[in-house]
Amino acid sequence: MAAGMADFQAGECSLMDSDERYRRLFRTALTIRLVEERIIELYPSDRIQSPVHLSIGQEAVAVGVCDALKPDDLVFATYRSHGFYIAKGGSLPKMFAELYGRVGGVSKGKAGSMHLSAPEVGLMGSSAVVASSIPHAVGAALSFKRRGSSRVAVAVFGDGATEEGVYHESLNFAALMKVPVLFLCEDNGLAVHSFKNARQSYNLLEHARTFGIECRRVDEGWDMLAIRQATLDALAVVRAGRPFVLEIATGRYKEHVGVGDDFHFGYRSAADIDAWKARDPLLLDEQLVAELKPEIDREIAAAAAFAENSPFPGRDELLTDII
Amino acid sequence: MNVSSKERPSTQTRVLSYAGALLETMDAALADHPNAFIMGQGVDDFKGIFGSTTGLAQKYGVERVFDVPLMEEGMTGVAIGAALVGDYPITTHIRADFSFLAMNQIVNLASKYSYMFGGIMSCPMLIRLVVGRSWGQGAQHSQSPQATFAHYPGLTVVMPSTSQAILDMYPQIIARHPGPVVSIEHRLLYNLDFSVSAGTPSKPIPLTSYVAREGNDVTVVATSVMVLEALRAAQYVAEKAGIEAEVIDLNSISHPDWELVIGSIRKTGRLVIADTSWLEYGVAGEVCRQVMLRDPSMLRQAPAMLGMAAAPCPTAKSLEDIYYPSQHETVEAILTQVRGSGHGIELPVERSMTEGYKRFRGPF
Ligand SMILES: Cc1ncc(C[n+]2csc(CCOP(=O)(O)OP(=O)(O)O)c2C)c(N)n1
Ligand SMILES: [Mg+2]
Repeated sequence: MAAGMADFQAGECSLMDSDERYRRLFRTALTIRLVEERIIELYPSDRIQSPVHLSIGQEAVAVGVCDALKPDDLVFATYRSHGFYIAKGGSLPKMFAELYGRVGGVSKGKAGSMHLSAPEVGLMGSSAVVASSIPHAVGAALSFKRRGSSRVAVAVFGDGATEEGVYHESLNFAALMKVPVLFLCEDNGLAVHSFKNARQSYNLLEHARTFGIECRRVDEGWDMLAIRQATLDALAVVRAGRPFVLEIATGRYKEHVGVGDDFHFGYRSAADIDAWKARDPLLLDEQLVAELKPEIDREIAAAAAFAENSPFPGRDELLTDII
Repeated sequence: MNVSSKERPSTQTRVLSYAGALLETMDAALADHPNAFIMGQGVDDFKGIFGSTTGLAQKYGVERVFDVPLMEEGMTGVAIGAALVGDYPITTHIRADFSFLAMNQIVNLASKYSYMFGGIMSCPMLIRLVVGRSWGQGAQHSQSPQATFAHYPGLTVVMPSTSQAILDMYPQIIARHPGPVVSIEHRLLYNLDFSVSAGTPSKPIPLTSYVAREGNDVTVVATSVMVLEALRAAQYVAEKAGIEAEVIDLNSISHPDWELVIGSIRKTGRLVIADTSWLEYGVAGEVCRQVMLRDPSMLRQAPAMLGMAAAPCPTAKSLEDIYYPSQHETVEAILTQVRGSGHGIELPVERSMTEGYKRFRGPF
């Protein structure tokens, strides 16, 4: 708990506060885990008829980062955004209704899992075209800068997204214009089934430095408090008007898309993930899980019930919201 | 050339070039809307997108009118992000061809933002594209992608053919239109003077079509610079043969005034379509689709269509001259619709349409 110590040493808070903080982060991470486990259970029932990209194993990233943000800071994310939706404070009933394709969903069922958003709490639209929302964060940050606002924007993307041209365009422009944007790379080492070494001839941080962008990698992607602290440190730079690249190593437990495991396909081994599981607080801290789970389960049951009772969008929705 | 439309109020007019109208509307956008900004390659330089943004960086500051790196996709994504937090971005591409690098953002993101998120977010913005023609623009500086963009629900596509259309549309679009708009401007029009009404817009809504010339014998539905070509041809056939062509400026490509268009075709029973792009899967096909859906019998005969030859644009002038429909061919199409192929009326000698646009002498 290195970051917790750092907080403590800085005299920012008492041990008691940092305990409470840990519980808060843990609870959010557990909510994400339990929501996605519920999705796994529900999936065979075909209540959710759209692709799902689970973030089980990666929860700490969303939780640590979003806890460091202010409520009006904006996050632009990807098809793998259940974690960011929940960590940013999106409503669970609206999320379930969206996954179920119901009018009670965030986007009346027109978005589904891949396009979650919650603009009221700062999660702007998630995109299923890899890397495509990265420049949106830069644009929002550019706007904040021009208005003299202290808000920041966060671009969330995977390691694979950094191979796309628009990532490079976005870094260059953000550095040139000095806009308050945090580039957050969730490095799970995989793009679908391809490992990073088969895809990248560059080192992400070295690459970012060539644009004069400050950057940092966090290897302890299971450690919510460390991620939170790293984000706070990065945000100090960003709020001073300089972009920052934060790369966080993490592990995707489930298959790329869908609700199953994928070790039996042979492209990777369970051992790759066992190392992450061995550090995973949601697996290790059984006592805290037992304490928090009943209440979260009730919230999830209520959200699923809300979704179940929400009507399907009808023909009247087909041609609305187009322009 | 000075083309005026019969629909325009005849009182209180003034002369304004196409580039001048663009500059006026860009200036007004920045003056009237503190959230508006213009970005694009070269918007702040001394040429100012062919005179349409000249001096605005000095007037409104580099935070509101600025050059960008060569990053068509990135720039469009930046515009979307800024629009999502309440800005009104205006982006430019000095050739429409370059916007293809931004297709991902325009088609996959901007056009879908409202619908895909169930109407809880929107990204109103104006994307200005300039179509090149003549002086050897060649295959990659000459494309006119109205059909491409109008194909996608969520995109609004306009093609102003006159200074008046710019004055009518841009301020209203910038002030009120809820989604992304692609405006396809034509380089050959930039230096032309038009008479415009001095006061308020001639139309109450920006997305509409115009009757550019009234007539009872044949309807010519045209886009952009082809509206001017159609007007020249209409004048010729009126003088030589007493044929009165009605010229409709489609103007709002994604949302034309179909009642206006169809009403004219019903009246004349004869149709010529003159577009600035390829005919295959394009505007011509859409106009015909609208006719077919309503009542194919409104046409007395098969319509005629004018557009670019079904090839990439050649650079050599001798080929380029036959690549685009000439005045000769436009007149021929109108005469044949009305009098049949044996019309026996003398055709104009001019073969290169760009002779009529002498003020454009390249290189861009
Ligand atoms: C432009 C584009 N190319 C390809 C795909 C197919 N695709 C979906 S996810 C993905 C992998 C992306 O990997 P990464 O950015 O590391 O994110 P992760 O899925 O690991 O979270 C690919 C190739 C896509 N959605 N968009
Ligand atoms: Mg990855």
